[in-house]
Amino acid sequence: MRRILAQARKELLQLVRDRLALGLALVLPVGLTALMGTSVSLTVTDIPIVVQDFDQTPLSRRYVDAFRTSLTFRVVTLPAATSPETLLARGRARAALIIPEHFERDLRRRRPTETQLLVDATDGNTARLVRGSAGQITRAFARDVGRVGTPPIETATRLWFNPGRDPQKFYGPGFLVLGLSIFPTVLAALAMSREGEQKTILQVYVSSISAHEFLLGKILAGMVIGFVQCVLLALLMFTLFGLRFAGDPTPLVVGSALFVFCVVSFGSLVGAAIPNQAAAVQAVGLGGFLLAFLLSGLIFPIENIPDALRWISSLVQARYYVLIVRDAFLQGGGWPAMWWAVLAIGAIGLVFYALAWRAMRRMQVKA
Amino acid sequence: MSRFWALALKELRQIRRDRRLTISLIVPPTLQILLFGFALDSNVSNLRLGIVDESRTAESRELISVLTQNPTFRLRGSYATPAALGEDLGVGRLDVGVVVPYDFARLRARGRPATVQVLLNAANANTAQIAQGYVEGAVAFLNRDLAGARAAPVELRTALLYNPGLVNAWFIVTGVFGTLIILNGSLVSAATMIREKERGTVEQLLMTPASALEMITAKMVPLFVLLMIMVGLVVAVARLVFGVPLRGSPVLLLAACAGCVLTGIGLGTFISTLARSANQTQLISFFINPPLAMLSGGLTPIEAMPKWVQPITQLNPIAHFSEIARSVLVKGAGLDVVYPNLLALVALASLFVAFSAWRFRRQLN
Repeated sequence: MRRILAQARKELLQLVRDRLALGLALVLPVGLTALMGTSVSLTVTDIPIVVQDFDQTPLSRRYVDAFRTSLTFRVVTLPAATSPETLLARGRARAALIIPEHFERDLRRRRPTETQLLVDATDGNTARLVRGSAGQITRAFARDVGRVGTPPIETATRLWFNPGRDPQKFYGPGFLVLGLSIFPTVLAALAMSREGEQKTILQVYVSSISAHEFLLGKILAGMVIGFVQCVLLALLMFTLFGLRFAGDPTPLVVGSALFVFCVVSFGSLVGAAIPNQAAAVQAVGLGGFLLAFLLSGLIFPIENIPDALRWISSLVQARYYVLIVRDAFLQGGGWPAMWWAVLAIGAIGLVFYALAWRAMRRMQVKA
Repeated sequence: MSRFWALALKELRQIRRDRRLTISLIVPPTLQILLFGFALDSNVSNLRLGIVDESRTAESRELISVLTQNPTFRLRGSYATPAALGEDLGVGRLDVGVVVPYDFARLRARGRPATVQVLLNAANANTAQIAQGYVEGAVAFLNRDLAGARAAPVELRTALLYNPGLVNAWFIVTGVFGTLIILNGSLVSAATMIREKERGTVEQLLMTPASALEMITAKMVPLFVLLMIMVGLVVAVARLVFGVPLRGSPVLLLAACAGCVLTGIGLGTFISTLARSANQTQLISFFINPPLAMLSGGLTPIEAMPKWVQPITQLNPIAHFSEIARSVLVKGAGLDVVYPNLLALVALASLFVAFSAWRFRRQLN
């Protein structure tokens, strides 16, 4: 135990002396999470929509006003002698609404009329949002104008957990996970591959410290940094993102501890397997960052990943941690909802630890 | 001129000998574009739907079947009480809950409106918004059916241009394209630019009669050629695997790629002047690359970013490149449409290359 602590102390001392690494450890995770969490979102508001009104009557203008007042759209004027299609092609507008002649007359005579919406579908998700909201606006307008009375079935929608539909509350915790997936891993990989690159592993080999003690010391130091990062990022969630614990925070506490253990073990594994710092960082970038970013459901739902790739995501620890963090800050399901995710992270962590231990013993033989 | 070619040939040979560099020009970009294209899909489908049917009548079953016929929803289970439904929604076993009230059929028979309660897990704002649109659309569809011949007074006909199948990969692949060029380009360039400094052979280079400018161009030209080959590879994958169309002029696309490659080389050279070893270039890239990639509009729309961030993306070469790639590939736009972005890209490329060359030259002296 004393040897483990001594090893951990040495690692932390080494980190404090390296300014670049210290920046990686403390400044970057917070900065990155703050920037990404506030900037990245799929929900577009203020979509520029161009209106071509062939009718030019009070009623058609009222219809356009319905679009103007919605938060989703921003009506841009159509310059003279240009077609709406050119504005779409030029990217000045994402959608075009075309109101036909005799719009008002048909409505007054209770004859059904059709308006047309052209959507730039280059971005499929935005196109879907545009289609959905334009449909909602039109239905509300039709009900208002057509005096058809209330429809036979109405829906009363209640939005749980994030009633304002604030995208930051969803992506903020996601990027907390990304930050915690990258930086402790990179630092651990650097610390381990340094021993291989500078052959200091031989000194370890001749000292009385055992492989487990050495590895645990390294991991303990990595976990201390990981915890500091975790607390800093959690503070960011409370301040910048305005989140609160929605329920029992203990699954998050236990899950975070296991997750940090997991990523630090993964970093040590990579560092032990690749005794070259530049290559180790690249491997972590590819393995840690890319997998956590792509296969964890951080931005895009896991359900949409093709089956051939989706099974990989169940081996990615970040996938479970994303669930735990979002549950703690948004849903508040607590242990009944999250026990399996916490267990999964623990299991993956143990596997990484065992692999790191094996890789390290090989590293001593190689050196 | 022969001096320049001799130096360029030396660089080319050095790059060719470095097997890791060649591999890193082929494997990561291909892998990344495949992974991004397949894994990132914002489509909302297979949402888990839970139902409480307190009415248990033909009318309520009709409503439920309309909802479950939609590929957006997958019926996960029926619940006896709204409380049980709420509990499963709370622990994340459901995404959407629908409660049909006990007086649903009776109200309908009397011609009075009946209200169906929809509970949505709105933690993911985007999914919630699209799911809400689908539920309301499905109910509107049923309403129209029930109203009989009397159609709604105003109907909205939607036409989806450029990408009628709403293939999300077209958006992602065209967006990731620029990110790949810049990130891989800067990594490879930084590795070649730092080589002399790391191995301490700068003096040998300085002893040659070549001027600093010749040295820099001789380093950049082979890189440029190699990276353009990588660009060709990525375009091939985008077309063959993801079926991204090429509706505009290929020359225009190549011009934009060239600008993007130059920016990547400039960025890599700049990073190499900040670092002392190859390790450090890797670490410095960690500070620069993620924000560059995420604030480019490549993966998520720029319009969805906060107002104060949007002008900053104008300084990001990837943002301009994504705009050009999407306009040329998917929308078939010509130079008259993309010239502002192309100009900005060329300006950024010249700026990056000039500044980094200046720093590199100062370091040589």
